[in-house]
Amino acid sequence: MRTALPVSVLAFAASLACSLVAQAQQGPGSAAPAAAPPSWQQGRNPEQDASPLHPFAPHMTGRAAKELPLDKLKVPAGFKVEVWAEGIPEARSLALGDKGTVFVSNRLSKNVYAVVDRNGERQVKTLLKGLDAPNGIAFSKGTLFIAEHHRITRYDNIEANLDNPPQAKVVVDGLDPDKQPGHFWKFLAMGPDGKLYYNVGAPGNIVMPGYFQATVSRVDPKTGVIETVASGVRNSVGMDFHPKTKQLWFTNHARDWLSDDLPNDTLHRVSRKGMHFGYPFCHQGDTLDPEFGKNRSCKEFDPPALKLGAHIAPIGMRFYNGKMFPAEYQNNIFIAMRGSWNRTVKQGYNVMRVVLDEGGKVTKYEPFLTGFLVDERADPPMWGRPNDVLVMRDGSLLVSDDQNGILYRVSYQK
Amino acid sequence: MRSRFPNAAAATAAFLFAAAAGAADPNLCVACHGDGGNSANPEVPSISQQPAQFLSTALFMYREGYRKEAQMAPMAAKLSNAEMNELAAYFAKQAAAAPRHQTSAANLKDGPAAVQKFNCAQCHGPRLLGLQHIPRLAGQQFQYLRAQLRAFKAGKRGDLDGKMSESAQPLSDRDIEVLADYLAGLVP
Repeated sequence: MRTALPVSVLAFAASLACSLVAQAQQGPGSAAPAAAPPSWQQGRNPEQDASPLHPFAPHMTGRAAKELPLDKLKVPAGFKVEVWAEGIPEARSLALGDKGTVFVSNRLSKNVYAVVDRNGERQVKTLLKGLDAPNGIAFSKGTLFIAEHHRITRYDNIEANLDNPPQAKVVVDGLDPDKQPGHFWKFLAMGPDGKLYYNVGAPGNIVMPGYFQATVSRVDPKTGVIETVASGVRNSVGMDFHPKTKQLWFTNHARDWLSDDLPNDTLHRVSRKGMHFGYPFCHQGDTLDPEFGKNRSCKEFDPPALKLGAHIAPIGMRFYNGKMFPAEYQNNIFIAMRGSWNRTVKQGYNVMRVVLDEGGKVTKYEPFLTGFLVDERADPPMWGRPNDVLVMRDGSLLVSDDQNGILYRVSYQK
Repeated sequence: MRSRFPNAAAATAAFLFAAAAGAADPNLCVACHGDGGNSANPEVPSISQQPAQFLSTALFMYREGYRKEAQMAPMAAKLSNAEMNELAAYFAKQAAAAPRHQTSAANLKDGPAAVQKFNCAQCHGPRLLGLQHIPRLAGQQFQYLRAQLRAFKAGKRGDLDGKMSESAQPLSDRDIEVLADYLAGLVP
């Protein structure tokens, strides 16, 4: 047995212990004259300066499912909710591979995870590290596409190489030439046209966007050519295509600090090219912005398909086309609500169900998975936050929870 | 002249112990952060009575390279997420000691206005005791606070959502001095 540590280890340790961290210094006289508020505070009126409302941050190290009040979760009769995977810190967007791999993304963190069943055991692998806000993930024909802060990349034949993923190939770069504050993370969806759909959010709460900001756009992965799909969209981080009509539907976050109950976050249907959904001039199709809406009319803009609730923060949405749930769930939309924070009495923190008729008109909007919100006046009011939904091959529904790093599975049995 | 890092011996011991044992032992932390996480070194932050989510997030940031610091990076490198959560829960429960720092008379007078002007309480809580992932400032070590504010302003402090970096932009050198001196003397 060794009784002494090697000298090199001691020297290394001592140098670490004695070295001083270089602290960032600033030159004298560099004081900025004006105070720019953090982007989430931008647009407050003076009476709101002392508001205690603030966004909530996820537990970056995750939390164990056994420490959480899972018994509070509620689903309709005949349905069951259970923990499907844990230990995926900041689990955001979900994508399903052809061979059954569930891909999970990060927004504040830098990883993309792969969850696989091997030898009867569920494993969480850290697939990719060091990415820049890799919130958007989409799987198509063997390839995993990832939308980062500034670019969209592809990883071909990914499911055969989960332990040794290939180098990223760039589909399109330069998506954030201005290094914009606020809403720089992207959702990503593969369209029925073979193009990748993504958002570029507004660079603040309520500001005049640049020409390709506050849009839903698409890029052809074969050519890298970009097109604007819809404008006036403050920030959409959930999209899907109707299984029958193939039309794009997406969720949108409305501005903050107007009031507890206005404006609503919204669900939108893209029925033609060149639609403009109003931001920053008109919100929810019928409410002019007090600043940007002056001398404008909401008639100029396209209204939403549904008002979802104020500050409720809809993230992922998917059409249900699985075979497990009752027939009336076919072509329904499930939406994961990650808010609210910007209202004094909190609401949301659930998965909602939207029922459409044959013409695409909303006929019902009701809670599906609830119980994360426990005290609407507490800080924090919730113990978990639904973030994305994913229809599995067997027809069950996965729900990601970035607050805790957990995936839940909702199943149905007659 | 006082050494700039009087805990060097303790840190060395802690590092060697960590390297050998690899355990999430609070004793490793107190070597530098003081008994019960109450630091006696103006450069080293107190970790007692900090919100657990702030502590676990800080350890996560050191391990993942979002915060760069030569002492903390190797300490955090070996910790799993579960171990970070355990350490965070432990130090969140340790009572904060009354600060030894004496705020100057001038900054005692200017401090409250600066705290209000720069909206510190908006995120750090009405008594600046921290909230969720946001740290307790009241009674924190003076030089640590000053160094963090300078680094945030320079864009060199790890900051997951960029909010504190943005908030630090309007601070002058004098503002930073006032805030750090005032906050360090507040009884938590």
